[in-house]
Amino acid sequence: MQALPENARVEGAAAAAPSDSPLSVDPIFSVRDLSKSFGPVTALKQLNVDFYPGEIRAVCGENGAGKSTLVKILAGVDRPDAGTIWFDGQARTFSSALEAQRRGIAMVAQELSVCPDLSVLDNIWLGSTDVPFLHRRKELRRRAAEALSLLGAEHIALNTPVSQLAIGERQLVEIARMLTRNARVFILDEPTATLSDSEIDRIFTALTRIRQEGHCVIYITHRLAEVFRICDTVTVLRNGEMVGTSKTADIDRRKLIEMMLGRPFVEMYPQHGYTAGDPVLQIDALCVPDAVSVFSAVVPRGDIVCIAGQVGSGAESVIRAVAGLVYNATGSVRVNGKPMRLGSAEEAFKNNISFVSGDRAAEGIFSTLSVTDNLVATRLKALSRFGTLSPGSLRLEALRLAAQAGVDQRRLRARADNLSGGNQQKLAFGRCLGRAQAGVLVLIEPTRGIDIGARAEIYQLMRELCAEGYGLLVASTDLEEVMGIGDVVITMYRSRQVGSYRGKAINMQDIVADITHPLH
Amino acid sequence: MRGYGSVSAAAVASRLGSIRVGKASVIQSVATLAVVIFAVSTPGFLSETSIRSLLTTVSFVGCVAVGMTFITLSGNIMSFSIGASMSATTIVFMVSVGLGLIPALVLAFLFCAALNGVQGWLVGVFRANPIIISMAAYSMIIGSAIYITGGSGVYPLTDRADILTRNLGPIPGPLAAFLLVALIGQLILSFTRFGRNIYLVGANPHAAKAAGIEPWRTVMWAYVAAGLFTAVSAVLVAARYRSGDMEHGIGYEYHAISAVLVGGTAIQGGEGSVLRTLVGTFFIALMQGLLILRGFGIEMQYLLIGLMVLGAIMLQWKGRT
Repeated sequence: MQALPENARVEGAAAAAPSDSPLSVDPIFSVRDLSKSFGPVTALKQLNVDFYPGEIRAVCGENGAGKSTLVKILAGVDRPDAGTIWFDGQARTFSSALEAQRRGIAMVAQELSVCPDLSVLDNIWLGSTDVPFLHRRKELRRRAAEALSLLGAEHIALNTPVSQLAIGERQLVEIARMLTRNARVFILDEPTATLSDSEIDRIFTALTRIRQEGHCVIYITHRLAEVFRICDTVTVLRNGEMVGTSKTADIDRRKLIEMMLGRPFVEMYPQHGYTAGDPVLQIDALCVPDAVSVFSAVVPRGDIVCIAGQVGSGAESVIRAVAGLVYNATGSVRVNGKPMRLGSAEEAFKNNISFVSGDRAAEGIFSTLSVTDNLVATRLKALSRFGTLSPGSLRLEALRLAAQAGVDQRRLRARADNLSGGNQQKLAFGRCLGRAQAGVLVLIEPTRGIDIGARAEIYQLMRELCAEGYGLLVASTDLEEVMGIGDVVITMYRSRQVGSYRGKAINMQDIVADITHPLH
Repeated sequence: MRGYGSVSAAAVASRLGSIRVGKASVIQSVATLAVVIFAVSTPGFLSETSIRSLLTTVSFVGCVAVGMTFITLSGNIMSFSIGASMSATTIVFMVSVGLGLIPALVLAFLFCAALNGVQGWLVGVFRANPIIISMAAYSMIIGSAIYITGGSGVYPLTDRADILTRNLGPIPGPLAAFLLVALIGQLILSFTRFGRNIYLVGANPHAAKAAGIEPWRTVMWAYVAAGLFTAVSAVLVAARYRSGDMEHGIGYEYHAISAVLVGGTAIQGGEGSVLRTLVGTFFIALMQGLLILRGFGIEMQYLLIGLMVLGAIMLQWKGRT
């Protein structure tokens, strides 16, 4: 391995390791009594935690536990109210993200900071102070290639424009950029949220290589499977306080969830079974150019039909087409036996199809508007008389929907973007509830980026809808979720419908095979 | 009524009574206090004539600003052509006033609504950039108007429109019209489905679409509404000067958007109100009036409006982070 010469390795030769250390080296990064408040909200309370070189550390906790606040402080984005940060054995205060970066702390945010139109090489050296005015391109190429090969990403050509790379590869480019700047601590915030399985493997390979170099990786994720798959240690936060740090080998999934929730774990997925109600939604030969070749399915009343597939499999496009959001979709969609015109969201809505997007910020919620406004957005027509609305009836309706969706009724006037991700998702759900006639709910990734507690509530909500007589069609890349909630599971692979499983026939093995490399 | 976020000086000026904590509102309170002291200490300000003339001039811009508020709230930033369409409407009104006042009014309102509605349709259906569409429209309106009128104004030899220059008791006529327009505008926004849809589409058009609302339709009607409010200003101005002229509306788009922004309506849409615009309009007019009374020239007025718009935008940005 051609290590970058500048990378100051922290060798595990420390004589007196602290007693609580899971590894026998000095921590590279420590925080002591760290506190941070945002106005009246306390985000972190006297937090103490150590990070060690040569480890991949998961940071887990529910939304609002303080994970993001902690890493933002570590990365120099936010400043703590109290407490000290020790980096490399010295107390430090980072006045900016740039300074933290110069010291060797790299943050790979969910929104990547690559320039799509520039080449991989240019992106790696973009903004680097290491590049002399009269630079030697050859040298820069060599070092960039070295960084990429260290990450196991030799296949990425330096001259390719970044726009031609997949999202996962762009992440690798960003990590390579950090490597060329002698980063020693890599902070990743849910890097796999939008990646396909093969891309996730790539990222994991890269992270393992970084660990081998003796660097520290701080990994924030909601996906517990990833914690056990790749992380050495896990730190759990709850309500801004430290719950504990443990080796992943020493705990199991149930224990981890209990640490995060602070209470015994109850089954996340409500009981269910295939009811075989009369079909509420029938899809025949649905076709979306470049996304879905042919798709047919029947959604019975009172059941949840899951479309499982990796990112880009076309599962999302099926949902979007049924919701009327794809203008060039063809095929036949019938609701309660009545054919529906495709390509108009208004038309789909009139036919009792409600859509909940997985991308809350982009098309789920109205972030600058109040909780009330968000809840009643779909109700304006039903509540209006000659086009006019009375605030009283809006409020009543909002109260009713909030109660049904499990949104705090005291927060009806709050702005939607002040709510946690889980509560925002409940708003998007609440909007679809209690329609005069039970219809169809189509969803994409209903629990993306939502913590465990809220997730269980959302699954509960989905079951309640089933009980009301709704039929649900869900696209999901999260197989655990698919297994947990699906009464019927349809698998998709590269825009093709592969298999269909029902009730007891649903099994992980076949589904994984179908969505990765199907036999037929 | 919508909840307020503390956004700009003028927004706070409207509710001096309410006590709010936070850095921004301290700045705003200080600014408001300064203006009040400035006003009271300015000789001649509290005289009836100066207040009346101030209120009259502000009202013409105010009606257009109410219309602009609809466009801004719907997520379409601003219209560059709204001044030009006002000017064109004064011409249509004055040309047709020979047919009688009522037909002329109907024609003027229809014309202005259509002129803006077409732009709204283009913006909504083709998701075209609203700034560019309105810049193109601006040029086209001026071009066609000059082509048709030969570049001169229209001066009809009739006094049929003079009734529009009357006062409502002690209240100047234009002010009454402005207050009425603002009231109607706010009622539409707060208590109609169309009004709520404007907020939804302005806040997040994609989410609105997913919720079964057709954004293009809402956007188009928001522009039509803007056209109707602008037409109110057009007929009042035309009646006052007894002429239709492309010069009448010059600069109105700028003054209108200034009032919207200083009032504290969010430039990216979905947040704000006509009431805020009302306050913004009066705030700017107040400052202008004070400068005139203190003997400053037009250059200082422009400088000041620029500074206020700048401050409003910076405060909006500050409030977001």
